[in-house]
Amino acid sequence: MGDEEEPKEYRWETGYEKTWEAIKEDDDGFLEASVADIIQRAKRKRQTQKTGTTKLGMMRHLYILLDCSDAMSSQDLKPTRLLCTIKLLDGFIEEFFDQNPISQMGVIIMHNKRAEKISDLAGNSHKHVKQINSLNRTSLVGEPSIQNGLEMALSSLKLLPTHASREILIIMGSLTTCDPSDINVTIETLKQEGVRCSVIGLAAEVHVCRQLANQTGGTYNVILDDCHFKDLLYQQVDPPPAAVCLDSSLIKMGFPHQMEADGKEEPLTMCMCHVDSVDEGSKLTTGGYYCPQCYSKYCELPVECRACGLTLVSAPHLARSYHHLFPAANYTEVAFEKQVSLCFACQKTFTETDKQVYSCPNCSKTFCLDCDIFIHDTLHTCPGCATNLSTFQITHTS
Amino acid sequence: MNNIVLKRESNTDFSSTDETSLLVVIFDSNPGQQFLRDNTHVLTHCLDSIIAFSNAHLMQKAQNKLAVMACHSKTSQFIFPGPGKPIDIRQTDGQYEIFTMVEKTIKHNLSKLLGSDISNILTESLLAGTIAMALCYIARMQRIKSPGIKINSRILLVTGSSDSASQYMNYMNVFFTAQKHNVVIDVCALDQHLSLLQQGCDITGGLYLKLPQLQGLLQYLLWVFLPEPPIREKLVLPPPVKVDYRAACFCHRELIDIGFVCSVCLSIFCKFSPICTTCHTVFKMPGPLAVKQKKKKLKL
Ligand SMILES: [Zn+2]
Ligand SMILES: [Zn+2]
Ligand SMILES: [Zn+2]
Ligand SMILES: [Zn+2]
Ligand SMILES: [Zn+2]
Repeated sequence: MGDEEEPKEYRWETGYEKTWEAIKEDDDGFLEASVADIIQRAKRKRQTQKTGTTKLGMMRHLYILLDCSDAMSSQDLKPTRLLCTIKLLDGFIEEFFDQNPISQMGVIIMHNKRAEKISDLAGNSHKHVKQINSLNRTSLVGEPSIQNGLEMALSSLKLLPTHASREILIIMGSLTTCDPSDINVTIETLKQEGVRCSVIGLAAEVHVCRQLANQTGGTYNVILDDCHFKDLLYQQVDPPPAAVCLDSSLIKMGFPHQMEADGKEEPLTMCMCHVDSVDEGSKLTTGGYYCPQCYSKYCELPVECRACGLTLVSAPHLARSYHHLFPAANYTEVAFEKQVSLCFACQKTFTETDKQVYSCPNCSKTFCLDCDIFIHDTLHTCPGCATNLSTFQITHTS
Repeated sequence: MNNIVLKRESNTDFSSTDETSLLVVIFDSNPGQQFLRDNTHVLTHCLDSIIAFSNAHLMQKAQNKLAVMACHSKTSQFIFPGPGKPIDIRQTDGQYEIFTMVEKTIKHNLSKLLGSDISNILTESLLAGTIAMALCYIARMQRIKSPGIKINSRILLVTGSSDSASQYMNYMNVFFTAQKHNVVIDVCALDQHLSLLQQGCDITGGLYLKLPQLQGLLQYLLWVFLPEPPIREKLVLPPPVKVDYRAACFCHRELIDIGFVCSVCLSIFCKFSPICTTCHTVFKMPGPLAVKQKKKKLKL
């Protein structure tokens, strides 16, 4: 395959800045290794590691610690580090809540040696996206303080029940941190509390970040360009393995369904979420979600019932994350020797250009490369296994 | 031929000239379905209606694309365009060649499929898997289209099977994938009410119709499902029904409205159990009830 075939999105935007780091990063001795290559290899590797048997922390509570110091105004990411980060975070937050339906997120910014919470832990993406986008008017001043940021996040994460998975993600542009006291003490506390801290560096490796990630079981990476940044950020969408000290419990939940009204006009009712809100006022509306235990009405899910305390979620929303638990089996790469003439899923006719085809270990059906990627990245269901009752069962009892 | 007039009118905006519409019809031809076992003529009746409907879709616009799939319990197949070369068709009694080809190919491939699947008949049709195949096919059509052309894709499911909660996971995966790729899923239920598929229609913006009368299948197909989603807004169609969004418990695959969710893996159970069958986590008991717990690995 020629190098020109590789899709190098946005490479033209970044120009030749930081290409020396792309070369430095490659420790296999291949100088021409492109960033797209590095990302592609990492993606395949991660895919093969997904087996579905590891315990995951699904009820995530994530604080994003965003560096808003002087260093974020640098223009090595276009247009600036901060604006590029804001744009990527926009998409990340949507994707995070899409894949982690009953998780919560909060945002803390670090500038001028202080930490400032701009958005509290909450399960609604709109609010966070709004807050993040308002940051483009913030003045980027002074140095960040990782310790102050961590302490602020920790004070809030500490209060959570023991079955909640706690995480901190730091996006760090600066190479220095200005901390009031010994950061090792903070790292030790985080470790004891089971808070997983990951760091994405925008400039170069910083020792204290590496140590923080290592000690708390997180990941530490320094970006090569904006594509790599996006890839690293989106890795955080997948739920991490459950922390060792994480308690587990069964939580009682309600799955509200809309009231059956049999052709008649639905009565106007008041929802509990707006009943005492001052700015919007309580509205009488038709439709909505009713708590199956006490029949209070809500206009948005997920929510905790104010009357009886039951957590209300929508079942399909919860189901969005099940592919983490039951991933489609990884296909094995086999050389194409005219075993079959068509890709089982997309009906593409295999030709001489298909040197490799992909075979499912459960249903032994053969697929093309594009389908392999589509099935494992998006669909999460093997079309071969899912169309035959005898293989259909295997994938669900494993 | 009201449909053609309708189509012309909505075509006046210039942007739609290079838009095509890809329709994948999934016909549940599993002979195990109750309504097919009662009367064998029903299958022919349904098939004829589907062929007429498919041709009506092709007639709407020269660039329109069509695929037809048959779904059984042990296999699902594309019956149009079938595997292998297209059948060579000469014009017969003035019928447009493509229509003859659609009809001949579908009937040929389906009878071959039905002939090969007589050993033991199972009643469950694996519709979710068939939708998964259709989505792969649609994804390929999107990959190989010529630049500048916009393909609007939709899937129409015609089935008389009942809902099967055992396919819950696969259904959800295909619904969310369809939603992500703007593929509309329409469902025409011939025999029984299908609450899971109704959720799929709701998620993807498609239409769900429980056929009041099997005799009128073709009329309902033409009235309700032939107009493309953007045109539907202008038509008076069956009112949307309230969708039942209950969850299926992992233990019995039954729909429940209050359940217990494992904090580690979000599996849903209808009763409290001391151990999660999905991730093998041992839970703290709520009461003093001391149950002998199996020694399972608690830590990784
Ligand atoms: Zn309640
Ligand atoms: Zn394929
Ligand atoms: Zn398979
Ligand atoms: Zn159950
Ligand atoms: Zn579990």
